[in-house]
Amino acid sequence: MLSAGGGVAVERAVPVSRRATLLSTRLVARDTWWQEFDCPDIAAAALPGQFVMLGVGLDAPGAWLLPRPFSVGWTGPGGEVGILLRAYGEGTRALARLETGQTALLLGPLGRPFDTEGAEVECVAGGVGLAPFIFLAAREAAAGRRVRLIYGERDAGAVFDPTLIARLTDHDPELFTEDGSGGRKGLVTAGLDPASGALLLGCGPTPLLRALEAFAREHGRRLQVSVEEHMGCGIGTCQGCVVRGADGRWVKSCIEGSVFPAEELDWGAI
Amino acid sequence: MFGAEFPSPVLLASGTCGYGQEYADLIPLDEIGGLVTKAVSLEPRPGNPPHRVAETPGGMINAIGLENPGLHGFIAEKLPWLREHLRRAHVFVNVVGHSAEDFAAVVRGLDGEDGFLGYEINVSCPNVKGGTMFGTDERALADLVARLRACTERPLVIKLTPNVPDVGDFARICEEAGADGLSAINTFPGMVVDIGRREPLIGNKSGGVSGPAILPMGVYATWRARQTCGLPIMGIGGIRNADDALQYILAGACLVQIGTASFVDPGAAVDVHEGLSAYLEANGVARLADLVGALRARPGTGPAIPAG
Ligand SMILES: Cc1cc2nc3c(=O)[nH]c(=O)nc-3n(C[C@H](O)[C@H](O)[C@H](O)COP(=O)(O)OP(=O)(O)OC[C@H]3O[C@@H](n4cnc5c(N)ncnc54)[C@H](O)[C@@H]3O)c2cc1C
Ligand SMILES: Cc1cc2nc3c(=O)[nH]c(=O)nc-3n(C[C@H](O)[C@H](O)[C@H](O)COP(=O)(O)O)c2cc1C
Ligand code: FES
Repeated sequence: MLSAGGGVAVERAVPVSRRATLLSTRLVARDTWWQEFDCPDIAAAALPGQFVMLGVGLDAPGAWLLPRPFSVGWTGPGGEVGILLRAYGEGTRALARLETGQTALLLGPLGRPFDTEGAEVECVAGGVGLAPFIFLAAREAAAGRRVRLIYGERDAGAVFDPTLIARLTDHDPELFTEDGSGGRKGLVTAGLDPASGALLLGCGPTPLLRALEAFAREHGRRLQVSVEEHMGCGIGTCQGCVVRGADGRWVKSCIEGSVFPAEELDWGAI
Repeated sequence: MFGAEFPSPVLLASGTCGYGQEYADLIPLDEIGGLVTKAVSLEPRPGNPPHRVAETPGGMINAIGLENPGLHGFIAEKLPWLREHLRRAHVFVNVVGHSAEDFAAVVRGLDGEDGFLGYEINVSCPNVKGGTMFGTDERALADLVARLRACTERPLVIKLTPNVPDVGDFARICEEAGADGLSAINTFPGMVVDIGRREPLIGNKSGGVSGPAILPMGVYATWRARQTCGLPIMGIGGIRNADDALQYILAGACLVQIGTASFVDPGAAVDVHEGLSAYLEANGVARLADLVGALRARPGTGPAIPAG
């Protein structure tokens, strides 16, 4: 077992590398796919907030692709690992083209998960930052608990199919779009309740994480965020994925994160 | 070779396997030839700001900045694990320094310790100021190798930079100055521009390019080194599979190292070894050593240095 760096110490499983078959893939929003892989080892061990390195391996014909990090978006009873994948650049576009029946290499589960300690939880997601909260909400629902799920996108076309979210998580997210074409108009942060004392969890673009940090600081709220930095290995060997810690050290986000209590980070450098 | 028996001719390259520990969960380390640690410097180094890595066509770029715990941190925190956990696989400690005295101090500081076989001297890192100075200056390299030779009797392997007119010249210098082996090659300096921000993508601005894109350059450097000196060579650069490794071996390498490919598949080093064994069997070759440098000369082949 690895121990988490810093304050939070959730027991984590040792990562494994597995060639896994893509069981299904479907377009669930503009440029966004929901993929389910057959990967029982990772499904059994993953915790919400953890991620996998997803790649095609070395012998894929004609392809050279470094694996990319993706949050574990869900785990199914049959050993499925769900990934919410948004095509962004070349790598994610290549992974989005994977077809049912093809295989990919999954390395995981990786990183430090969210530590909810049974607390009341509010999840704030921007874009595909929703992925770890689908997993978290599904787990909480299975344990008979509810979380608040606040989900923002630019416009309705980018919104992950709400019926699928409901089916996976047994939760209805509170939706915000920047242009008002779906849900309430505005940024997700408009959904935050200053009177609540719930533990805040954030995942999404950096401006969202910054806004959450400012809100949490102003209202004395506990906050954990999942940060995104380029990764090489995903397992702590290459030192490629560093972010600046509050103590001025470079910390490896693949192993000491990607989830950090907000106070462990240097927000001036994020 | 290097006074040791290697369970496999495939090692993990410096900077891509940390200090071994993380890979122990993923692959049977004692079934590979060994590993080369992340660079160790006299003092701890904080490393470069992010982004430190990104994919490039056929490879990747990195500018880690040689972040490491320093000589004493390495001895206290990293070496004990290697000593306790590796039985057959061999460890080379990758050593880096700003000055010849820095290098020498690291070697002297480590030499009395157990848990590793030898040194890989990194005179070729492009990611720190002055990083390639020793690797691109013939006099400085000769002096450095001679000086380190006087500090240790362990295997002393010099990791060459490809950023010189002819790697062969530098290989010969290493041999004359008393090195025991060569590693060829380190990364090529490169740059990626983020056109959206109109800034270098990498925090250090430039970085080292590795991966399949540099395979032919590494093979060429190995071949040149083999032509000018008799030292054993570890071939490095862009190896993904046994075929790539065989190119290095035929060009003159007796061991190979896997770097970037381990990021794509942590099992790459194990697979390359299996592939090499299968090749030997399929081709009726008794020992890998029979293939080392066994490149056939083609009649009418051109000059050693490409004319353009
Ligand atoms: C812990 C973690 C979890 C993630 N979870 C998800 C998820 O569930 N769904 C999803 O769609 N995306 C997720 N991402 C982002 C996803 O990894 C990037 O979109 C992807 O790496 C971009 O690759 P690209 O080739 O398409 O982009 P390019 O910009 O072409 O990539 C160039 C280089 O930059 C790196 N890079 C670019 N953007 C990012 C980024 N945001 N994060 C990390 N590396 C980046 C790439 O790895 C590559 O090396 C996550 C990232 C991290 C770090
Ligand atoms: C992330 C990263 C870190 C590296 N760090 C070191 C280092 O500390 N010392 C060194 O000599 N080489 C270092 N290298 C270079 C590799 O050991 C190797 O020479 C190079 O990557 C070419 O091999 P490859 O194409 O198989 O990766 C590093 C390479 C990468 C990708
Ligand atoms: S990605 Fe290699 S250390 Fe984090």
